[in-house]
Amino acid sequence: MRLAAALLAALLVGALPMLTSSNYLLGVGVSALIFTVAAAALNLIYGFTGLLSFAQLGFWGIGGYTSALTVMKFGGNFWWGVVLAGLLNAVVALAVGYPTLRTNRHAFVIVTLTFALLVTLIARDWVELTRGPMGIANLPAPHAFGYRFGTTGRFYYIAWAFSMLMLAFLYVLCTSRIGRTLIAIKQNEPLVRAQGISPMPYKLAAFSISAAITGAAGGVFVFHLGIVDPLILDFYYMQTFLIIVIIGGAGSFWGVVVSGVALSALPEVLRFSADFRMVIYGVILVAAMFVMPTGVAGWLRERQLARMRASLEAGPLK
Amino acid sequence: MSALLQLSDLRKAYAGVHALDGVSFDVEAGSITGLIGPNGSGKSTAIDCISGFQRLDAGRVVLAGSDITGRSAHVIARAGLMRTFQTVRVYERLSLRDNLAIATQQFDRASWLDEFLRTRKYRDAVDAAESRSRELVELIGLQRYYEAEAGILSYGQKKLVALAAALMPRPKIVVLDEPVAGVNPSRIREVEAALRQLNQAGETFLIVEHNVEFITNLCHRVIVLEQGRKLAEGTAAEIHADSRVLEAYLGTTPEIAAAEMRGAAA
Repeated sequence: MRLAAALLAALLVGALPMLTSSNYLLGVGVSALIFTVAAAALNLIYGFTGLLSFAQLGFWGIGGYTSALTVMKFGGNFWWGVVLAGLLNAVVALAVGYPTLRTNRHAFVIVTLTFALLVTLIARDWVELTRGPMGIANLPAPHAFGYRFGTTGRFYYIAWAFSMLMLAFLYVLCTSRIGRTLIAIKQNEPLVRAQGISPMPYKLAAFSISAAITGAAGGVFVFHLGIVDPLILDFYYMQTFLIIVIIGGAGSFWGVVVSGVALSALPEVLRFSADFRMVIYGVILVAAMFVMPTGVAGWLRERQLARMRASLEAGPLK
Repeated sequence: MSALLQLSDLRKAYAGVHALDGVSFDVEAGSITGLIGPNGSGKSTAIDCISGFQRLDAGRVVLAGSDITGRSAHVIARAGLMRTFQTVRVYERLSLRDNLAIATQQFDRASWLDEFLRTRKYRDAVDAAESRSRELVELIGLQRYYEAEAGILSYGQKKLVALAAALMPRPKIVVLDEPVAGVNPSRIREVEAALRQLNQAGETFLIVEHNVEFITNLCHRVIVLEQGRKLAEGTAAEIHADSRVLEAYLGTTPEIAAAEMRGAAA
């Protein structure tokens, strides 16, 4: 039932270019799709596994530079660029995660934050490769079988297909026994170990998959922008992903998907005042945390639990 | 035939305090063995070291003939030793069904690929886990809460869920850390009966507990620890009659101690 509704929604979202020809609206749509994927990937490592990773921003940037450089410097095409962005980030995440995940959750947060800052430095200072603050501009439109995805309306289909594929994969993963084990690790790691499960491979896999998907998303996104420069590592992106996850409800797959679509539109709505945009964004976040500390999905769940508790207490006592 | 679990000369010190100072004892297959002692006598440290949650300074732990000394907790669990925790641990935001299913997940042979392809192996594993968890949830009397999140249960009920989870994969030995502390007194008898029934079906238990009556009713053999050393070992009746034990436990004369012991058990 829920799956049928999701399928219908997916098709409706895919039909947007047939409903509007406004490049502005379609552009917001592309951002919403890609941000939702990046947020869902953050949800895997933070919401499900309980590890707050700021490295997502670094993966997003590495992905953006990888796909751009694949096309502009190494003679590949867009599709290879996105695949390489995913693969490279999976490997980087393994290298960063293997030592870091042996420390505690707090150290993990700090190391991932440092990693993101380090990537920013590299993007700015390794001028031979990244062209520094100038960035790599004029990224060509992707093409396949002689068809050029040259307009925002056409690029929208790439973003749509990409996000549907990634979200479907994440859905299967999150609802599997692996997803359930990640939740168990978040809730009670010693118990997981006492039940014969080693948490390390699960955490490492979640981190690496999350990195690969975030990197691929970044790789698609820079071709929407047409340029990659150090601004791709602006903290604004990390903040957006995090807010989507927190407001949607960390650990809820659908909560984060719905909030991803809804909240990606928000900065656009707030665009009228560039100066106050972040302030308003912050106020909305704080207000939401006051009303629903576990996100929309968490809030709905609490209500459901309260009903269940009431019905169990009202039932015949054994 | 050697014992199922053999502990020899366990030693563990924290910053100079000897939590375990050369403790040795065996747990026979098919037995219920009790481990008692005053607070700080080293019971919890012993359990943590046996189950791999803490590292021994010295000594050997042998489970069913294989040396598991110094192995990681998850390796020891896979070798067939399941434990519960003094401060109850359950997955608060998962249903009882999932709480129990996860406990046996590592022991079936279905991989993630089996799950993705929904192979026969996977379906059989899920069915087996389901029938085992229904059986156990009935044993602990919480059928009504099977689909409910464990977080809504009382502390005592969670202890029972933790017990059921430890039993899920039919381990070689179950180590229980204070299984009835905080459990409703009216339910303690039921837990006792359930453990006896499981034991008669072949399950081996090592139980740490403060409730002396519970231990003496249930255990075939009782080990008493004091200040990291084994003070006494014997049947429940022998331990009961041992004046050294009474003194260590209560620091007083047998007459007063016996009265206090009755009080503690009530």
